[in-house]
Amino acid sequence: MKIVVIGGSGLIGSKVVAKLSQAGHEVISASPATGINTITGEGLDEALANTDVVVDLANSPSFEDKAVMEFFQTAGRNLLAAEIRAGVKHHLALSIVGVDLMQESGYMRAKKVQEDLIKQSGVPHTIMRSTQFFEFIGGIANQATEGNIVHISDLQFQPIAAEDVATFVTEAALSAPVNGIQEIAGPGRFTMPELITRYLEAATDPRKVEANQNLQYYGAKISYAALVPAGQAKLGAINFDNWLSSQLAKA
Amino acid sequence: MKRDKSQEPQLPVLSQAVLEQERKMLLDLGNDITRVRDKNDLLVLFSKRLKRYFYFTHTIVTLIDEKSGTYTPFLLDNESSPIRKHPMYPELIQAHFRLNEPFIQTVLQADGPISFLLEDIMEQPESPVFLKVNYEKGVREILMTKIMMEDKPMGFIHMYTDKPGSFTNEFRSVINGIIPQLSGAVSNIIKNEEIHKTEREKSFLLDFSNEIAQVRSKTDLQAAIFKVLDKTMGTKLAMIRLLDDDEVHLSMFMCDPTLFGGTKATFEKMSGTRITVEEPYTSKVLASREGLVFNVAEEIRSGNDYAKLWATTGLKNMYSFPLRVGNRNIGTIWLLANKLSKLLLKGICAQISIAIANIQANEKLLAYKKQLEDENDYLKEQIRTIYNFSEIVGNGAAMQEVYRLISLVATSGTTVLVLGETGTGKELIARAIHNASPRKDKLMVKVNCAALPANLIESELFGHERGAFTGATDRHIGKFELANQSTLFLDEIGELPLEAQAKLLRVIQERELERVGGKQTIKVDVRLITATNRQLEEAVRKGQFREDLYYRLNVFPITLPPLRDRPEDIAPLANFFVKKYARNAGRKINQIAPKAMLQLRSYSWPGNVRELEHLIERSVLLSPDGVLKDVYLSSKNVSEQQSPAHLANRSLEEVERSYIIEVLKRCSGKISGIGGAAEILQVPGNTLHSKMKKLGITKADYFTQG
Ligand SMILES: NC(=O)c1ccc[n+]([C@@H]2O[C@H](COP(=O)([O-])OP(=O)(O)OC[C@H]3O[C@@H](n4cnc5c(N)ncnc54)[C@H](OP(=O)(O)O)[C@@H]3O)[C@@H](O)[C@H]2O)c1
Repeated sequence: MKIVVIGGSGLIGSKVVAKLSQAGHEVISASPATGINTITGEGLDEALANTDVVVDLANSPSFEDKAVMEFFQTAGRNLLAAEIRAGVKHHLALSIVGVDLMQESGYMRAKKVQEDLIKQSGVPHTIMRSTQFFEFIGGIANQATEGNIVHISDLQFQPIAAEDVATFVTEAALSAPVNGIQEIAGPGRFTMPELITRYLEAATDPRKVEANQNLQYYGAKISYAALVPAGQAKLGAINFDNWLSSQLAKA
Repeated sequence: MKRDKSQEPQLPVLSQAVLEQERKMLLDLGNDITRVRDKNDLLVLFSKRLKRYFYFTHTIVTLIDEKSGTYTPFLLDNESSPIRKHPMYPELIQAHFRLNEPFIQTVLQADGPISFLLEDIMEQPESPVFLKVNYEKGVREILMTKIMMEDKPMGFIHMYTDKPGSFTNEFRSVINGIIPQLSGAVSNIIKNEEIHKTEREKSFLLDFSNEIAQVRSKTDLQAAIFKVLDKTMGTKLAMIRLLDDDEVHLSMFMCDPTLFGGTKATFEKMSGTRITVEEPYTSKVLASREGLVFNVAEEIRSGNDYAKLWATTGLKNMYSFPLRVGNRNIGTIWLLANKLSKLLLKGICAQISIAIANIQANEKLLAYKKQLEDENDYLKEQIRTIYNFSEIVGNGAAMQEVYRLISLVATSGTTVLVLGETGTGKELIARAIHNASPRKDKLMVKVNCAALPANLIESELFGHERGAFTGATDRHIGKFELANQSTLFLDEIGELPLEAQAKLLRVIQERELERVGGKQTIKVDVRLITATNRQLEEAVRKGQFREDLYYRLNVFPITLPPLRDRPEDIAPLANFFVKKYARNAGRKINQIAPKAMLQLRSYSWPGNVRELEHLIERSVLLSPDGVLKDVYLSSKNVSEQQSPAHLANRSLEEVERSYIIEVLKRCSGKISGIGGAAEILQVPGNTLHSKMKKLGITKADYFTQG
């Protein structure tokens, strides 16, 4: 099969490209660096010619509300239009668990628009909603830091290893489109302050976590359980402890 | 999109902190839930709080109604319900769903929360329709949990989700954990609602009882009943039947003729027939303590003819209650409704019973009054011919003055006091006043205050309620009430006992009265004429007559002259009576012989006109036709008469003798000492003794009655 991975140079994208190639497929890793730009439309039609599956793993370079909305809207329209022209048989995108429950957040609104464009396009698709990547935990801590204190709300949290995400995405890319949503998450459920404390401790980071009941996530108010899957979800194989030790080993 | 059922959902490992958090949440939620008193808060709180931790779309609580074998929505989580816009929604939230079908039976038999994929169960023929409706609005799975109260299921929490698999094990265990508190809260709400309902019903009953207290007629009552029943959950009055006076038959008293529209003729036929207390339905109802309920459908099946009629209203039950006042059955009431509160019905029926009893009493009173009036129309006619103003005979100056006074006072409502010796025609004057007054079309009511024992006079005047005193077996309407809008003539007012005087005074002042043993005050408009032959001032001085009452009665005194003071009237009076009695006796006497007339004129007439009348009556009977020659004056009569009249034409000795007897009588036979006759006569006791001996006064003379 010919598979185009948009954002193939990213965290998840690079792993997926590797896995698909390993499985013997013709994979194009698409990114502005490779001359394929979903915002400008550059190189899209050429890349998509005779393509069976498009896996969209791109992300907005800016997380500012307006910019991110523009990114997913424009990218989505350009990409889906090109797919229709090329007759792509399966569009797979990576979204976020609870995206519809966190519409106070600009980033989540943009991701929701991305989902909706896909649903409305008529292109056979799979929307894979994932929880946060373990690799993203440091970022959460950073954006919540004030001086030496990390302010974290008492939210439920069930992150997943990027490796597992890539595995699930690869699997799905090689399966038939579900024309709906599939959720994936990590194997363990935690509270966010609990996990971030463990993360910082493991990294011998001097910052201290202070838990609160404000239900805040990146400045948006969400519910306790918005970040964890509600219905059936596929759970990753790598638990937090394993991931942590592999990270420390790398360091 | 078919779910792969073979694949068990994967569950995440929960960290200690997550477990702790959930435990705490459960505790908080439980605490909050048990504090909820308002129905609307409960489910919103429950749903909002739970949604912080778990995903579901909406939830509702249904309650089991054991009697009808159904369950019905009780608490709604309206805000988030996706089916709110469904056209069937308004119908669904009122619906009763059968308990007797496999879906809900599975729920009842499950140990804890149990979930179903809607697509697996909604097409089953007996499944409740809300499953399908939810599916149509995107809901995919339902979690049903029993709410228990004292080990019995009292209802269900339904939770819905559009994401299959939302109802994880943790979710279920949290729901299971919260059930006891939720059950407690729901039963609190139910109790609270019952208390409210009872209070509402009580104030409702109070309103009704105030309204019904004003009711005086059947029409008023009917209006009040229809109004109250209309407010009472669409209840319809089928019929009120009342026991007849014979205590055997029952006649229709009231019904709603609009009720059985199509079958009016049948209804009229059925309700028009008088039934007896033996009629099976009636006897059952009368024998029941608190009424009976007949299910219309069941009654039709058992062949009750009435029930077919009942069915035309579309209402499900016929409620029938015995109408009772105290322990006495007065009839039955039949009400059609789907459902009625027992408390409310009992209250309403009690009020209706009392109102009907009042109306019946009122109707009887009116009938009695009417009957009296009818009877007395004849009498009035008679009275008019016998005692006409124009037929008061006598044209002497003294009587002219009386006539002037009568015409002066008659047209006003002024109280009149007629004074005069016995037999001077005081009642005649009272009638003359009444007949010349605007009240003349109503019968003047007369009471002789001396004719009744003291203990009965009050009830005679003011009436009494049933059971007011021993022997008061029935309500009695007093003469005052009978004389409403007419004239009450109280003869021999001087003999009225002091207690009754006090009551009379109040009625005069307040123009309203209370029956003996009664609490209700009754307004009366009565013109009062009193009469006496006693010296009332004297009686006042002696404390036998209330001074305040005396002044109230003595507003317009008319004094009738004794016959001896108007000898010029003796001849016309005698002729008048001769004519009257001769006609009555069928005799042809039209003249009085001059000698007889002379006798009449020289007599002192202590008994005044009445004595003259009786004498003429007697003489007419004893006389042959033609001229009345002899009058039979009795000298014994004369000497025994204790009126100042007999002072005329008598010797000094006679006067002395009778005066001593009179004083002795007043002193109850005491001759000397304090309060003795000698003291009053201002002679020594011995002198009086010898005087009595000389005049032949014995105990027999002053211990006679009168
Ligand atoms: N972070 C999380 O925890 C999380 C969780 C759930 C889902 N997701 C979603 O997962 C997806 C991948 O995330 P990630 O962390 O792997 O992203 P990433 O590491 O930031 O990679 C983003 C990729 O997008 C490419 N890209 C940027 N602009 C482009 C354009 N105009 N045209 C084509 N490609 C463009 C980038 O190319 P260059 O390398 O050339 O810039 C890069 O390959 C995102 O959609 C994100 O929303 C993330």
